[in-house]
Amino acid sequence: MLKISELYQRFGERIAVDKLSLTVEKGELVGLVGRNGAGKTTTMRAVMGILQPLGGSITWSGHPVGLSDRLRFGYMPEERGLYPQMRVLSQIAYFARLHGVEPRAATSQAQQWLIRLGLEGREQDRVVALSHGNQQRVQLAVALAYQPALLVLDEPFAGLDPSAVDSLSEVLRAETSRGTSVLFSSHQLDLVERLCDRIVILEQGRVLADGTLDELRARMPRRLRVRVATSADWTASLAGVEVISKDPQGVLLAVAPGMDTQAVLRLAMAAGQVEQFGFESGGLVELYRQLVGQ
Amino acid sequence: MSHLKSIRLIAGREIAERLKGRATWIMTGITTVIAVVLIVGPTLFSSPPKPYVVGLVGPSAQALGPALQATGKAAGVDMTTMNVADDSTARSELTPAQSSGRSSRLLGQLLPSLQGGKATLDVALRLDTGSATVEFYQTVSPTLAAILRAVVEQVHQRDVLIQGGVPASVAAAAQQPEPISTVTVQPASSNLAGRRIAALAAGILLYVSVGLFGSAVASGVAQEKTSRTAEVLLAAVTPSDLMTGKVVGIGLVGFAQMAATIGAALIANAVVQSSSVPSEVWVLLPAILLWFALGYTLYAFGYAAAGAMVARQEEVQSVSAPFSVFLVGGFLLTYAGIASPDALWFKIVSYLPPLMPVLMPARLAVGNVAIWEMPLAILIMLASIYGMARLAGRIYATSLVRGGPRLSWVAALRRR
Repeated sequence: MLKISELYQRFGERIAVDKLSLTVEKGELVGLVGRNGAGKTTTMRAVMGILQPLGGSITWSGHPVGLSDRLRFGYMPEERGLYPQMRVLSQIAYFARLHGVEPRAATSQAQQWLIRLGLEGREQDRVVALSHGNQQRVQLAVALAYQPALLVLDEPFAGLDPSAVDSLSEVLRAETSRGTSVLFSSHQLDLVERLCDRIVILEQGRVLADGTLDELRARMPRRLRVRVATSADWTASLAGVEVISKDPQGVLLAVAPGMDTQAVLRLAMAAGQVEQFGFESGGLVELYRQLVGQ
Repeated sequence: MSHLKSIRLIAGREIAERLKGRATWIMTGITTVIAVVLIVGPTLFSSPPKPYVVGLVGPSAQALGPALQATGKAAGVDMTTMNVADDSTARSELTPAQSSGRSSRLLGQLLPSLQGGKATLDVALRLDTGSATVEFYQTVSPTLAAILRAVVEQVHQRDVLIQGGVPASVAAAAQQPEPISTVTVQPASSNLAGRRIAALAAGILLYVSVGLFGSAVASGVAQEKTSRTAEVLLAAVTPSDLMTGKVVGIGLVGFAQMAATIGAALIANAVVQSSSVPSEVWVLLPAILLWFALGYTLYAFGYAAAGAMVARQEEVQSVSAPFSVFLVGGFLLTYAGIASPDALWFKIVSYLPPLMPVLMPARLAVGNVAIWEMPLAILIMLASIYGMARLAGRIYATSLVRGGPRLSWVAALRRR
């Protein structure tokens, strides 16, 4: 299990990560979301030992993360890092060897991942000759070629076409079922919602929310959608009820704890024909917007 | 994974990628060809000096043949004589053969050797009663003219003596000089000119090679930084292993390239027995290779730190400019120092670590390094390399994954 406790990092006057704590269990897929500058990349770089945090601790299986642990961590940085002139197969095998894999096994692992990621036949191409998407696949193969216990992936889906997104999603799912822990960041909230066991929302270097999608939903007020066939503004008489939005699909109301929804229904029926009356389970996009106030 | 294994892997990749790249082979090829041409060229294109040919016109002059040859031999001048029937024959033999055509004639005057070759005679000598005539085409060697004059005067003196009643044997004895013995007060140091050339050659070789391979380290590090490969690498290895592996890998390729060039030069020299390369250069070889290894290692760590400080690949040259200044400075001081190798200032500056890799081999070449100085110099150099590796390691570790604009050296040293 990866455990980050009270992580603190500052760059000059700017606090990048402010006493941030989170965990990634064995075989768990955790998505880090947050706006640019929220602290996602800094957190990941601290896990990988690329920067030394000013405060806090990072442990793996109960002990502080050291170089020998990191040899079993797969990493994909936000700005991809590959030797542009090196050939694909030898590049993946080289990184596997740096992570302690024997030469022959490194080459065979590299070959297997190239086949699995749809890059068969490109083994001898130079990385620079590949498309952006294919370079991304090679970068992923570099992170996977030594059977890591933890995958730390910074924006792994950025710039991928839908089929590549699907194949990467499959790979990540397969890796977690093998017991690999995965921590990844993304701005594609629909993907995070679909893929992750748990979601951590960061804002200004702090954890704003941490839980499964259902747990996050439970923290937010429920939302009631009501559509009435009338041109009159019947909501004016709803005392103490917050109207989130009004559009041709009806009105969206925030349901505060203890609110009498039956009274709302009665008011709607009095206004006209009620065409829709039901609770909406908001997706991550709505949840995120509510949480960070966007 | 052990540090040694990491360094070996990183160095191995450097070596493999550089050997796969065309640039390495092209550069090795060019330097090897230049070295071979410099050695073989002079031997191949220069013909051995031909003896002077003196044309003797008429029987009186022809009688001087043996005396001329004996005097020439005594003076160390390679010359032969040739009997010529008359003045017109002599004149035509003095004139280089020319082809017709105005432009060709002009060219022939400028470069006679290209236009029909050399004339048969260098000079023609005719003796008449009471006078002697020396005829030549455009110029005549002063040594050859002096020999001719001496022989003609000798004959004239003998004739005058005999005409004055002196027996011929006495006249001949009078003209035999007493043997002259020579005493050298201060023998010249053996082949000082050759030693100075060797010092300059060693200086150029070290200044160019250390600068070249050091720059390769800076470029390689900058490429890893700007392509963000360093970030992926640092997840698996420590910054110091990464830096050391790079320095070792590029250094070994550089060492092999130098060895290949020097090896080709040695073979070429053995084949043609070139006289254009002073033997001192070859004697210096082990010292050149040792000082290349030491000098490269010292500078390469500095170049690695410089490469880590850049924000863009194009900045490598300006960031690493201080190293180029030291290397060029070392070479210029070599040039100034070999004129007076025993000067105190030359000895002192040769102990400054950044100048040592260029100046010490130069001092060795001119032969003024005391036996105790070499181990001392090597110790100072090893200590400097250790200090430089520590300092560069600090800059490298903090700068390699840092974004933003290029750092200055002062700012990089202050960062923690």
